[in-house]
Amino acid sequence: MSEETVISVENVDAGYDNSAVLKDVSFTVRRGEVFAILGGSGCGKSTLLKHMVGLTPPLKGEIRLMGDRIFGGSDEEREHALRHFGVTYQSGALFGSMTLLENVCLPLESFTDLPREARTLVAEMKLELVGLKDYADCFPSDISGGMKKRAAIARAMALDPALLFLDEPSAGLDPVTSAGLDRLILRMRDTKGVTVVMVTHELPSIFSVADRCIMLNKATPSLIAEGTPVGLRDHSTDAIVHAFFNREEN
Amino acid sequence: MNVTLPDICTAEHVAEFWRTRLPEVTRLTHEDAMLLDADRVTTCDGAGEALIVELYRCSARQGFAITCQDGQRIVARTLSLFQIERFTDDLEAANPQRNTNTSVQLGMATLRIWKDICEQMAFLGELTVSALALLIRPGRLRLRDTMLHFERAGIDALPITLLIGFLLGLILAFMSATSFRQFGVEVYVADLIAIGLFRELGPLITAIILAGRSGSAFAAEIGTMKVNEEIDALVTLGLPPVVFLALPRVIAATLVMPILSIFAIIAGLIGGVVVITSIGVPATTYWQHVINATTLSNILLGLLKSGVFGLLVGMVGCSHGMQTGRTADAVGRAATAAVVGSLILITIFDGIFAVLFYLLEI
Repeated sequence: MSEETVISVENVDAGYDNSAVLKDVSFTVRRGEVFAILGGSGCGKSTLLKHMVGLTPPLKGEIRLMGDRIFGGSDEEREHALRHFGVTYQSGALFGSMTLLENVCLPLESFTDLPREARTLVAEMKLELVGLKDYADCFPSDISGGMKKRAAIARAMALDPALLFLDEPSAGLDPVTSAGLDRLILRMRDTKGVTVVMVTHELPSIFSVADRCIMLNKATPSLIAEGTPVGLRDHSTDAIVHAFFNREEN
Repeated sequence: MNVTLPDICTAEHVAEFWRTRLPEVTRLTHEDAMLLDADRVTTCDGAGEALIVELYRCSARQGFAITCQDGQRIVARTLSLFQIERFTDDLEAANPQRNTNTSVQLGMATLRIWKDICEQMAFLGELTVSALALLIRPGRLRLRDTMLHFERAGIDALPITLLIGFLLGLILAFMSATSFRQFGVEVYVADLIAIGLFRELGPLITAIILAGRSGSAFAAEIGTMKVNEEIDALVTLGLPPVVFLALPRVIAATLVMPILSIFAIIAGLIGGVVVITSIGVPATTYWQHVINATTLSNILLGLLKSGVFGLLVGMVGCSHGMQTGRTADAVGRAATAAVVGSLILITIFDGIFAVLFYLLEI
């Protein structure tokens, strides 16, 4: 992991329709790390992620991906920033009318000049990386929730992005599938050098994959802690952070 | 043969290589050899890795040897990630599910249609049993839902029904007036419009509107509920989905159709009077002919047809909603199938009614 900053979030107020759910959030993500955004339900994790991937603009502040502003800059700058990353959503958001192979091929068709057989091979290889090559011709409705999430990662990785955003990758999965997904995230980081930002509140996942994390709080409403998961668990004096990592009510 | 990989082995640089150099590689035989120079590769993405895999795949398939210069360990890393034997078959050959044989497809399509017919019959049976059970315990009907669907399918559809009914009367009057004028009997346009609208066109055009607006909406609503597992939740709560979801919609569609038909007919008659007065026939004469032509049997037959058409639209819409698959596009397909199925059944039943009324001389 290098010290190079690939994502910078500066003084961001996150929310919709002039209603802020988070205020004055600032942090950076370094190249090659797995970075987790933590917090309880409704604290604004997914809202912040939506600002970071360019779906909705923040109410205030600036977000830069690989140095490019995703909002507030030129259209070219935004387009450039959008090409740097892949995103997976909670449900997987695979296109139901397409097979897994077609789902992965879609970004390759849209953004590369590769011939059909090359696109197919690239897509097969991405599915092989996530262990789904044998299901290439299945439709999303034919596979399990965990497989959908893995297929979504394969689609997000189709164009070899430098950044991968994962929205609750382990939510709703059994512990074994969840652990498999965690290994896949680390494999992507180690083999492809991808920087991963994940929104989650699954403690086992946090401890097994995250290099660093931030913790958001609904009541404050702001970023209340930043550090390594083990560091926060063992040394944080904040009652909310302590309660989160020790699964206590506060 | 010497193959030198581009310095930057990414999608935009590999595409050209794939088109120009790869055909040469595919012509190599087991007597040939390839020197793969990957020393200068500095960046390699998924497309570059695919190119390396493709070269080794050709080697495995055609039997030629590859000697590799791999100073950056790019090829070695790729081959450690992807086992070539996992990619030796073409996708089409490896996939037995994609059967393009015409006779097999025809057989599968026939089976699908048969399955569809069976499901429709099963739904009809379930609906009938539920409706009969409702006669014993009317309190089980969700009256609030029924009224809501009555409002959506009826009151909300009133403006479009009135507009189309008015235009239909207008067009009918124009077309018939042109012919009737040649015989000097323009005044009988009123009789034609009245009989045509009450017996045939009023119920038919209203049924088409209902199928397009509400039949598709029924299928989409229930289909989305199925995708969201709401129907599973109803079943596990012990609430029959047919009673809870289908019956209120079918009852609402059956009851609202005759009312909408009456509005469409009245609008059509007004459309007719606009044309007829413009060609010099007094409005009072027109209305007198309309009243004379409109017999009680014509009104009742029109209302009977309307009720049956409403029942068909409600049934087909709900049935296709219940049979929706678990994906978003399945909901779209269910909505389309509901409209198409309704229109086919409306036409068939309209034909049956025509023959029946002719035989009964009514």
